[in-house]
Amino acid sequence: MKRANKIFTTLIFVFLYIPMVVLIVASFNTGKDMAHFEGFTFQQYARLFRDDSLLALLGNSLIVSVLASSIATVFGTVAAVGIHGLNPKMRKTVMSLTNIPMTNPDIVTGVSLSLLFVFVGSRMLGQRNSLTFWTLLIAHITFNLPYVILNVMPKLHQMDSSLRDAAMDLGCTPVQAFFKVTLPEIMPGVAAGAIMAFTMSLDDFVISYFVSGLDFVTLPVEIYSYTKKPIQPKVYAMFTLLFGLIFLLMVTMNLMQLRSDKKKVAQQTKVPSRGTVIARRVIAGFVAVCLVVGCGFLFFQGRNQKVTINVYNWGQNIADGSDETMDIIAAFEEAYPNIEVNYSTYDSNEVLYTKLKNGGITVDVIIPSDYMIARMIREDMLLELDFDNIPNYSFVEENFRNTAFDPENKYSVPYTWGTVGILYNTKYVDEADVTGWELLWNEKYQDKILMFDNSRDAFGVAQYLLGYDVNTTSEEELRHCAQLLQEQKPLVQQYVMDQVYSTMINGEAYIAPYYAGDCMQMMDSNPDLAFYLPEDQGFNMFIDSMCIPSCAQEKEAAETFINFLCDPSVSGANMDYICYASPIAGAKEHMDEYLAESDVIYPDEQILSQGSSYSYLPEDISRLVEKLFMEVRNG
Amino acid sequence: MMKRKSVLLSVPYILWMLVFTLIPLGVVAYYAMTDPATGAFSLGNLKELGLYMPVLGQSIGYSLVSAAICLLIGYPVAYFIAHQGPVAQKFLYMLVMLPMCMSFLLRTLAWVGLLQDTGIINNLLAAIGLPRLQLIRTPGAVVLGMVYNYLPYMILPLYATIVKIDHRLIEAAEDLGCNGVQTFTKVILPLSVPGMLSGMTMVFVPAVSTFYISQKLGGTDTVLIGDVIERQFKQGNNANLGAALSLVLMILVFVCTGIMNRFGGDEEGVVV
Repeated sequence: MKRANKIFTTLIFVFLYIPMVVLIVASFNTGKDMAHFEGFTFQQYARLFRDDSLLALLGNSLIVSVLASSIATVFGTVAAVGIHGLNPKMRKTVMSLTNIPMTNPDIVTGVSLSLLFVFVGSRMLGQRNSLTFWTLLIAHITFNLPYVILNVMPKLHQMDSSLRDAAMDLGCTPVQAFFKVTLPEIMPGVAAGAIMAFTMSLDDFVISYFVSGLDFVTLPVEIYSYTKKPIQPKVYAMFTLLFGLIFLLMVTMNLMQLRSDKKKVAQQTKVPSRGTVIARRVIAGFVAVCLVVGCGFLFFQGRNQKVTINVYNWGQNIADGSDETMDIIAAFEEAYPNIEVNYSTYDSNEVLYTKLKNGGITVDVIIPSDYMIARMIREDMLLELDFDNIPNYSFVEENFRNTAFDPENKYSVPYTWGTVGILYNTKYVDEADVTGWELLWNEKYQDKILMFDNSRDAFGVAQYLLGYDVNTTSEEELRHCAQLLQEQKPLVQQYVMDQVYSTMINGEAYIAPYYAGDCMQMMDSNPDLAFYLPEDQGFNMFIDSMCIPSCAQEKEAAETFINFLCDPSVSGANMDYICYASPIAGAKEHMDEYLAESDVIYPDEQILSQGSSYSYLPEDISRLVEKLFMEVRNG
Repeated sequence: MMKRKSVLLSVPYILWMLVFTLIPLGVVAYYAMTDPATGAFSLGNLKELGLYMPVLGQSIGYSLVSAAICLLIGYPVAYFIAHQGPVAQKFLYMLVMLPMCMSFLLRTLAWVGLLQDTGIINNLLAAIGLPRLQLIRTPGAVVLGMVYNYLPYMILPLYATIVKIDHRLIEAAEDLGCNGVQTFTKVILPLSVPGMLSGMTMVFVPAVSTFYISQKLGGTDTVLIGDVIERQFKQGNNANLGAALSLVLMILVFVCTGIMNRFGGDEEGVVV
C-alpha cells in the first residue's frame, strides 16, 4: 500500500513537472517549434539579454510586486492588530469583507476594479489616462491584503495577550510594546503573508490583464499577448532562468529555516547578545534601503525629459529588425532622440475599438482599417491631423486620397493596403477543392480550418459566399450570414487572429482566411503554404491608415511619427518585413524585388477590380453584427 | 483603554476594502443595468443572460469534474507528504508550491505543445508507428488543463489538515480494534474533511472562471463563462453584458462556497 502510494505520488510529481521540462528544453532549441528539437543552442539566452523590452517588463513586474507586497504587509499587519481588538461581531463582519477578494473569482475582481477606475477617473475626474501604474498598484495591494491578514490573524490569536500587558506594566509605551513583544511573536505570520503576497502579485495575470492600460504592463500580461503571436523562444529562456532563480530561492529559504529551527532548539534560553541584535537590524535596514532605492531607480530611470508616445498597431505590422530588416522604431528614436515610442499591439479593429470605447487609456497613434476609421470619425473618436507636421504626405499616391472613409483627408494617412484571401497548405489540401470561399465549409477538412476572430471579416467571408453586399444593412441577410457561420463552427479548429501564424506554419491547421501580407510572411516560413484569392466571388480590399485618437496626449510627436513612416525609404523597408503593399509613391523602389513583383501583394488591376471594400455601417447595424458574432462564438 | 485605541488601526483598512472591493461590485451592478448604446437604465442585459445559461452550466460541470479529480489524485499525494520526515516534508511541500510561482500561461502553452496534432506526444506515437490521436480541443484536454493548473491548490490545504491530525486518535482507534482500512475511513478521512472542502473551493473558483485554459486547450464548442466575459470586454464592445455576466458568476461562486462552508461548519477554514 505504502509502496503503491509512493509510486503514485512520484507519477503526480512527474505530471506536475512535465510542462516545465518541455519549456526548459525548448529554451535550448534552435528551432521555434517546441515539438521539434532541431539542435542545441544558447542563442535564445543571448537574444533575451539583448532584448531590453523583455527585461523592462520583468522590471515592471518586480516593481509592482515588491511595492504592492511590502505596502500590503505593513498595512495588513497594522490592520490585523486593529481587527484583533474589535469585538467578535465586528471582527466577523470585517473578516467577511476580507474574504471578498479571496472568494471572488479573479476575473470578477479585475473587471470590477477596472470599471471602478475608468468610472471614477474618466467619467468623474475627466482624466484621459486613468489606467496607470498607480491603479495597477492599488489593485495589487487590494488582492494582497487578505493574504497578509489571514496569515497574521491566527498568530495574534495564539499570542498570550498578558505578554504585552506585562511589557506595558514594565514601562513600555503601546508602540514599544508592539515592536518589542507583539511583532517578534507574530513575525512568522507576517513573513508568510509577505511571501504569499509577493508570489501572487508577481504571477498575477487575470487581474492585471483587466486593470492595466497601455503605458505600464507587467510580464504576465505581455506573455499573454506573446502566446497569441508566433511565440519567440527567448520567452522560454526567461522562463528557465526564473525557474532556476525561484528554485534556488526556495531551497535556500528551506535550508535557512531548518538551520534556525535547530539553533532555536539548541539555544532556547539564550538571549541574543546586543551585538547580534544590532547586526540584525543593520542587515534588515540595509535590505530595506536596497529594495526601496532599487525600485525607485528602476521606476524613475526611464522617466526623463523625453516625450513618450503610445503607438497601438496590429500584431506583426511593423518591421522590428529581425531577419535583417530595418528596426523602424529604433530608427525613429535615433532620428528624434527626444521622442520615445511605447509600442503595443491589438488583434483586430474590433479589439481596438472596444479598448478605446472602454476608456481609461491614452493612445497617440492607431492604425485602423477603412470602415473602422469611418465609424470612429462618425463617433468623434479621432482628432484632425495637422498636415504641416506631416510634409511627407506629399508622397501618398493619388488613389489613396479622398477615400470614401475620409473624403476630406482630415483624419488619416494611409499606411498599407491589401486583400483578404485564403491561405492553405498544399501538402494536405487538394487543389481541386480550392474553388472559392466554400473551401472554408468543406467537411473534408474538419478541425483543420481556421476562421477570423472578428465580426466584420467573418461576416465578410459569409457575405461573399452568399453573394450579398458586404455593406448590407438588411437584418435578414445578416442573420443568414450568422446561420452560415454557425454551420461552419463544428468544422472550425479555432477562431484566430495573430495566432494564425503558429498554427499555419507548423501545420496544425491547413486552411485559413487571412490578410495577404500576413499570408506572405507565413509563406516565407513554410514553403508548403499558398495564397488564393477568390476573384469570382469577390474579396475584401482594405486600406489601413494611421490616425490620432481623441484620447491622445502627444499629438505633435504622434504626427512626427506618422510623417516618418511616410518616408518612401522607411515605408519600403517596412514593407519588406510586413509584406504589404505601400500607398507611398517610390516605396516600391526600396522594397525587395521579389516582394515588389509578387502578385499576392500587388495583384493585377483586373483582379483588383473584383474586390470590394467595407464601408461604414450605421451604429445599430454594427452592434447587431457584433452581437450576432458573439452569439456564434459563445453559443 | 489601550484596546480601544488599537481598534482605530483597523479603520483605514476597512475604508480601503470598502472603496476597493465593495464599491467596485456596486459599479459592476451599475454597468449591468445600463444599456450599452444609450447609457440609460435598462434590464436588457439581464434579460439576455438566459442565452448564456448553457455556458454557465458547462463551466460548472467542467470545474466540478476537475475539482473531484483533483481531490481523488491529490489526497494520496497529500497523505504521502504528511507521513514523511520533517526535512522531506518541507522539500516535497516546496516542490508542490514551485509550479504555482511559474507563469501558468506558459505552462498551459507547454501542454498545447504536448497535445496538439503536430505536438510532442503525437510525434512520439508516429515515430513508433502508432496512429496519431486527437488529444487537444477535446473536453478531456480542458479538464486536464484545469487539474494540472489547480492541483497544488488541492494538495496544500489537504496536507495542512492531514499533518495536524492527532496521532493519539489513530492509536486509540487501533487499540480499539480498528484495522488499517477502518482507521482510515472512520478517523483519518472524517478529520480531513475541512481540508477537502477548502481544497475543493480553491480549485473550483479559479476553474469555473478561467478563460485561458479553455481558449488554448478547448475546441470551438468548449466555451466557458470566463471566455464570454473576456470576449465581451475585449472585443465585443459590450462591457455592460460582460458586467451582468460577472455578477452572475460572482453570485454563483458565493452560493457554491457558501454550500461548501456549510458542510464544513468551520468559519475560519484552513489557511495555507
